[in-house]
Amino acid sequence: MAFQMTRRSFLQASASAALTTALSTWLASGAQARSGFVRKPFTAPGSFGDTTTVTGGVCEMCFWRCQLVGKLRDGKLVKLEGNPKSIDNGASICARGNAGVKLLYDPDRLKYPLKNVGKRGAPVWKRISWDEALDECASRLQGVIKNNGPQGIAIFPHGASATYPMHYFEKVVGTPNNSEASFFQCRGPRDMAYINTFGVQAGENVDMPNAKAILLVGTHIGENIHVSHVKQYLKGLENGAKLIVVDPRFSSSAAKADVWVQIKPGTDTAFLLAVMNYLVKKKTYDSAYVQKNGEGFDKFAKAIAHAELDWAAKICDVPAAQIKEVADLLATNAPHVSIHPGRHVTWYGTDFQRERALACLTGLLGAIGTKGGFVVPKGPKLGKVAWPDIGAEHAEEFALHKMAEKHQFSPPGTPTQMLRDTAISGKPYAIKACITWGQNPIQTIPGQQETIKMLQQMDFVMVVDVMPTDITMYADILLPELSYLERYDIVKTGVQWDLNDKHQQYIAPRMPLVSSVSADHQRKDSVWITNELAKRLGHTKQIPAPSAEAMVDKILAGAQLSVAQIRKEDGIHLQSGTDPYGMVYPVRFFNEDLADAGYSGAPSYTPVAEPPQGFARLVYGRVPVHTFNRTMNNVWLNAEIPENPIWLNQTTAEKLGLKNGDRINLVNQDGVVSVKAGVLKVTLGIRKDTIFTAHGYGTKNPAMTNGVNKGFDDQALITNPAVDPETGAHGMRTSFVRIMKDGKVLSIPA
Amino acid sequence: MNCPQSETPASLYRFLAQSFRYPEQAWLTEPYFDLLGNIKQNLALNSDATGLHWNYNAESDGLELLQIEYTRLFINAAPAVIAPPYSSIYLDHEGNLYGQSAVWVKQFYQLHGFDVEGEGDIPDHLVLELEFLALLIEEQQGDKAEQFLNEHFRRWFPLFRERVLSGSTNQFYSTLLTLVDFFTREEP
Amino acid sequence: MSQYGMVIDLNKCVGCHACSVACRAEWDVPVGLDSANRKQRRNWVERLGPDATPHGLASTYYVGLCNHCDSPVCVESCPADKVAVTFSDPKTGEKKTLSVAATWKDPFNGTVQIDKERCLGCGACADSCPYTARYLFEEGGVPKADKCTLCVERTAVGLEPACVQTCLARARICGDLNDKKAEISQYVGKGAVRLESAKVKIGPNVRYYGKKKDISLLTQNSTPTALAEVNYRRIFMARMLRPSLKQLGSFKLS
Repeated sequence: MAFQMTRRSFLQASASAALTTALSTWLASGAQARSGFVRKPFTAPGSFGDTTTVTGGVCEMCFWRCQLVGKLRDGKLVKLEGNPKSIDNGASICARGNAGVKLLYDPDRLKYPLKNVGKRGAPVWKRISWDEALDECASRLQGVIKNNGPQGIAIFPHGASATYPMHYFEKVVGTPNNSEASFFQCRGPRDMAYINTFGVQAGENVDMPNAKAILLVGTHIGENIHVSHVKQYLKGLENGAKLIVVDPRFSSSAAKADVWVQIKPGTDTAFLLAVMNYLVKKKTYDSAYVQKNGEGFDKFAKAIAHAELDWAAKICDVPAAQIKEVADLLATNAPHVSIHPGRHVTWYGTDFQRERALACLTGLLGAIGTKGGFVVPKGPKLGKVAWPDIGAEHAEEFALHKMAEKHQFSPPGTPTQMLRDTAISGKPYAIKACITWGQNPIQTIPGQQETIKMLQQMDFVMVVDVMPTDITMYADILLPELSYLERYDIVKTGVQWDLNDKHQQYIAPRMPLVSSVSADHQRKDSVWITNELAKRLGHTKQIPAPSAEAMVDKILAGAQLSVAQIRKEDGIHLQSGTDPYGMVYPVRFFNEDLADAGYSGAPSYTPVAEPPQGFARLVYGRVPVHTFNRTMNNVWLNAEIPENPIWLNQTTAEKLGLKNGDRINLVNQDGVVSVKAGVLKVTLGIRKDTIFTAHGYGTKNPAMTNGVNKGFDDQALITNPAVDPETGAHGMRTSFVRIMKDGKVLSIPA
Repeated sequence: MNCPQSETPASLYRFLAQSFRYPEQAWLTEPYFDLLGNIKQNLALNSDATGLHWNYNAESDGLELLQIEYTRLFINAAPAVIAPPYSSIYLDHEGNLYGQSAVWVKQFYQLHGFDVEGEGDIPDHLVLELEFLALLIEEQQGDKAEQFLNEHFRRWFPLFRERVLSGSTNQFYSTLLTLVDFFTREEP
Repeated sequence: MSQYGMVIDLNKCVGCHACSVACRAEWDVPVGLDSANRKQRRNWVERLGPDATPHGLASTYYVGLCNHCDSPVCVESCPADKVAVTFSDPKTGEKKTLSVAATWKDPFNGTVQIDKERCLGCGACADSCPYTARYLFEEGGVPKADKCTLCVERTAVGLEPACVQTCLARARICGDLNDKKAEISQYVGKGAVRLESAKVKIGPNVRYYGKKKDISLLTQNSTPTALAEVNYRRIFMARMLRPSLKQLGSFKLS
């Protein structure tokens, strides 16, 4: 036996030297006949063959939620693939979807409830039990509710699993102070503008596969990847749709475009007004649709009458002939045109009006319910699991924007800027507890120093997440959540990706692909965590579902389905759908409600601040392998595009003596210097007054061992965000920058 | 050690495995520390028999400090976790969990009539590997234990130990790591 | 005889990198560089431009993988002892015995493959490939050459190559270039190009199809212009190693 101390002693005795010599002599003589080993090089076994396929996965590397299958070998997830039964993404998934395996087995993931026994922002963690963690969260939250009222709690949720706790805190506890990044730093202005024009949400509901022309304003499909959406776009192009791309940069979409409008950033609305005014004046708009379904058209026509081609050409810095070309192209192909509403639209703090303009243009072209137009597909009906509204009235009463009579067209929740200002100033009331659930406000919200100030004044900060993102450093109690591969939560529904194909609907609940239990962690799902908190806060009776699985079952019951049934159906239930074409929406060209509230009733252009002399505007976009900051620690994704180059116009670079690959810093109008230097990309594909990089890089928490300090952090430079007056959403393409090279600040030549 | 019994090595591995579980009052008892002291003394590991500088005292904050240190070393930490106790971190290209070496470990367990309890368990955690060694020895499969050590454990444990020692001055864990090293390293 | 290969349709490709990540997942391809600073990858996506071309401003993607060339220089460079290997045609059952080193071109499907057991790990093949399609997988202490196999392991059981299956644009068309009816051949008929130059003409079987400006940008940037200098020292060292490996082999047989 290897470890009997007697043998050890024996070997340590003086005889050992002689023995060793004897042994080596014997070995050298070749007396040993053969080795019992063969060399067997590692050969990767692949994902097929001896693996089992588990169905029922729904991706959340981004929020498009493609349907997945997992390939498991002996309990280990070896690969993720698209569910071949899917009528949405099919067997395809994007780079991020493929890399989900590396999130599951990321050693940096949170594993146990942690208590910060150090300082907020400079944490010292101690593993604690769930009971201890939940007791502490409940008593600290109770303390804030007692001293400050429910409105003293702020919540920053993101992602499917955060919906359940978000509704608990809003509806039951009764706080209005909910700031969703998906609204206030992303889609809010779009959603509200379309609701206030067509009465329905925009989504990305344009029928691109069947369009004859597609207009993308800033949208850069290719750098932004959502599988079925990309399929729609490519099918449209394959079918010969004319692609018009309005972008200061030669984006991935501009590279495929028939017309590239290299617009001056911040002027898109002027461009859209001129297009609309031209259509109205030339009477090449869809007068039949407008007459039948339009509201306030004359007032609208009058309000935009000033928007001549030359006026816009000057503002937008593009030829008037090109604006005319775009307008004619759209009119010629109407009503089969896809005016894309965009997705991440929080640009300049004037975004609601731009989105209104896009919606009005859609209406003007009669491109509603038509092949290729704005078409909202009809999805399947589901059951509901909802918290009772017992605190909703209180929340309404203390909603900051309602108290101040500002941002009357805010999406649900409270505008982030107001929430943060209130927390810092304590006026009109104190906000003393902060809950972040799957959101990383350090990266999602511009003005990082303000956010940190807000966090530092809290009595209690609770963070629930999968990864140790930057915000986790500010937690007092940090709770580990199961990943999307290990839990039940959302029920994804939709229709076949090409609306012109056989009409089908799908129902795909997120079900775990791998076991949620392991000896290595004590992660829990959000339903369990929320319920445990609710029990401790005296809301046992209000709990609408005892577990995540039960919640999903209840939702499915509304469609006469169950988790068990969906498992039998390989993770996706398919049923026949209805023809989505022919739907008609009213178009509020002039919206009296907006006018009554003191906003412009017709879409209007408000100039945004110009870059000071020597500065360029900093704009950002995406790389296809990242969902902004969320995926930065993924070792495979990181390897694909390890950093985000800073795009600079070639002529400018030549004048400044800069070349491709140079390391540069950026300095903004407030003197803030980028934390790290970035790598320069010199290109003809960007305007001289614009500098571009991809957003989300520059993670600061060293606990994210792959992501930390990778790439260039543009968020730190967004110190002067704008706020959209109608919606309260942030505008984040508002920073002006100069270049710093080897310690020297270089002004951008005009 | 002057009184080796047949079960001693297995018990030692079990003792060491337990020592790398999360520190809790339930098992960090006086008998535990007596035994630890005893092992150290028998091995003459350190001329300073009081080398364990952390004085266990349920009344003091000693236990909490140890828990904080465990969390920092092996679970999550700011600025970063020091040494996740899994072989894949040290042996596999991406340093992720459940790499090829973990698959190898699981197959080795299975080949010898064992498996981890939960289907989602990560097989190559230090605690599991030490427990597995105990199991093999209890089943009189010392040669297999030696094979496991040789083909797997000794490839990663020194790297892990190095990371802990360079990131921590904690006497408790440095002592335990020395013990694990002593009982697993290749015979001279 | 078949010649399997791939066409990348750049009109469809959006540069999303799904293919290269799916490949890592399928074949456990490590990230980073090998010890000779080669990128560890079986396939890859590189964004090109925006840059000027004679046909206008362009931006496209270099979507790379092993070209399974007509005259693969990697095969010629392999210093491993040749042994007789019998290949068979899955369609006709026809057999052929060839004398091959540790990497060869399959006489029936035209793909270039590696025998990991006999690979010496010298890296000569990787150094010789003008497309940098090979690297050394160095895990486990014994380096072995690795590259795209065109997923013959998957296609043998009726699956698509991992990259093809995940491609959301259906921009990767894999098939038999000698089958005139195959979709891939239609692309060749439409003018899909090879990345070849005057000095590098080894018959790559990955072809690219797209707009003039995109093809122009791609060929400007990504066509190899010279065959690599073969590292004779490395080959020599590898040859020195062989006897010991042979001995190990004979132990196995005894």
